[in-house]
Amino acid sequence: MRFLAVTFGHTMRNMLLTWKSQCMTLFTVSLSVLIFSFFYLVYANALQVSASLDDDLRLIVYLDEAPSPPMQAQYRSKILKFDQVEKIEFISSQDAYQRFEQALGTNADVLTGVPEDFLPPSIEVYPIRSLDSLSRIKRFSDYLQTLPGVLKVQYGKQWIDRFHSFIQLIRVVIILSGALLVMTTTFMVAHTIRLTLVSRQQELELLRLVGATNNYIRTPFLFEGALQGFIGAASGMGALLLLYNWIKLQFAGPATTTLPFTFLSWPVIGLLIGLATLLCILGSFSAIRRFTRL
Amino acid sequence: MASTTIPPDVMIDLIKVSKTYPPEVQALVDVSLSIQRGEIVYLTGMSGAGKTTLLRLISRMEKPTKGMIDVAGFDLGKLPQRNMHLLRRKIGMAYQDFKLLPERTVADNIAIAMEVLYTPKRTMERRTRELLEQLDLSHKYATRAGELSRGEQQRVTIARAVANVPEIILADEPTGNLDGETTARVMDLFYRLNRKGSTLLIATHDTRLYRHDKDRVIELRFGRLQSAAQTRVIKAEDQPETTEIQEGL
Repeated sequence: MRFLAVTFGHTMRNMLLTWKSQCMTLFTVSLSVLIFSFFYLVYANALQVSASLDDDLRLIVYLDEAPSPPMQAQYRSKILKFDQVEKIEFISSQDAYQRFEQALGTNADVLTGVPEDFLPPSIEVYPIRSLDSLSRIKRFSDYLQTLPGVLKVQYGKQWIDRFHSFIQLIRVVIILSGALLVMTTTFMVAHTIRLTLVSRQQELELLRLVGATNNYIRTPFLFEGALQGFIGAASGMGALLLLYNWIKLQFAGPATTTLPFTFLSWPVIGLLIGLATLLCILGSFSAIRRFTRL
Repeated sequence: MASTTIPPDVMIDLIKVSKTYPPEVQALVDVSLSIQRGEIVYLTGMSGAGKTTLLRLISRMEKPTKGMIDVAGFDLGKLPQRNMHLLRRKIGMAYQDFKLLPERTVADNIAIAMEVLYTPKRTMERRTRELLEQLDLSHKYATRAGELSRGEQQRVTIARAVANVPEIILADEPTGNLDGETTARVMDLFYRLNRKGSTLLIATHDTRLYRHDKDRVIELRFGRLQSAAQTRVIKAEDQPETTEIQEGL
């Protein structure tokens, strides 16, 4: 108990002694955490969006004529030969006509006199909903085009390509902001601790002379690093929550109600704060090792 | 780490210890010295004779160039850095340059020695007040050390050195800046600690301090320890100087 009280007392004294640098470090750590966690939030939500993709992800393979049951089996086996899919559905001309009629709703009377088989039969292929299948959908489409009797293959090509590029970009940004987070937290904290060490050099020297242990001298600095990491990361998360609420408020509308847009889960928040704290402790440790040759 | 080669009643043991500073300044030459547990030893000599160097070697603030040093059962040549605190906790040193923290209060400066041992706050405060009372500095309890006179700073460094009632007290010119009455107070404190079992090694120019026959006086001259006979002669020559302080002691 006395150990904790003494350590805490020393830590507070250290932090007050270099409060300007402490503020800068806290600001930098929280900003780094905010940048990283913001892109992670976008990425996590993009993953959710991709999981909830429905019709946009389906490939429609238009055929020149309705396939017989043995032909359907052949198509099925050839499709599965390329990739695992979630669902394969054969749509006859009549089924397509009925869907079209339903889609037109009150305007369905425009179809009066139009033969029920005017739409071509088709196969609807639903790939497994994941980012990997998104990236492979173009190749899948090219493959389906080569199957016999196929007139045309259609999918939300542009949308999916853009979405895929966006996800790739976010991945790169996450890696970069992660590197930024590591660098700023460790280097800034190490720098601040070094400043504290220099300003307390005389006292540290004296502490050694009066019989302080290595732990007695080092622990307050590690504690200081941990505090900087924890407070900085928690502030960053707080800022992210504010930003998230602001975005939700700004873009409130039908799009946000249909698309999932959720905040990070508690375990992820805990993990990010823990990670930032750990990095700051490491930064602090590296500074102490270099400066306190005990 | 702990030495088994010296008898347990020997607190400080130096065998042919030399210290040379670069380029070729010989501060100590082949100094051999044994100090018993509970002994009071006065270390005298002119300025630059090597008194401070000897104290720094004993407290392991410096390493000898040659020779062996045993202090409180520790062979200093083999004592690793990570265990240095074990030695330092047995030694209380009053430095000639005080080594006070000028921005901290007098109480803080004294308490720092007890704080490293995680002494309870109340005990630290009581002991600090007690020491300040003995050294006539009670009124300076909350004063910043940087605002004190040299004489007051000297007393604070002494109070810090003795705060934990260490086994060994090393004092480097402890009365250099003090008047007669304050010197008597300081020496009274030292003698009290000695009666409690502390071993004292006091480096001083002040011949008034070692007039008791039982006190051992050793002299360093140009880094060499003089024989007991030579030292006695010096002591006798200094005899007529003062009697006033002696009465106080």
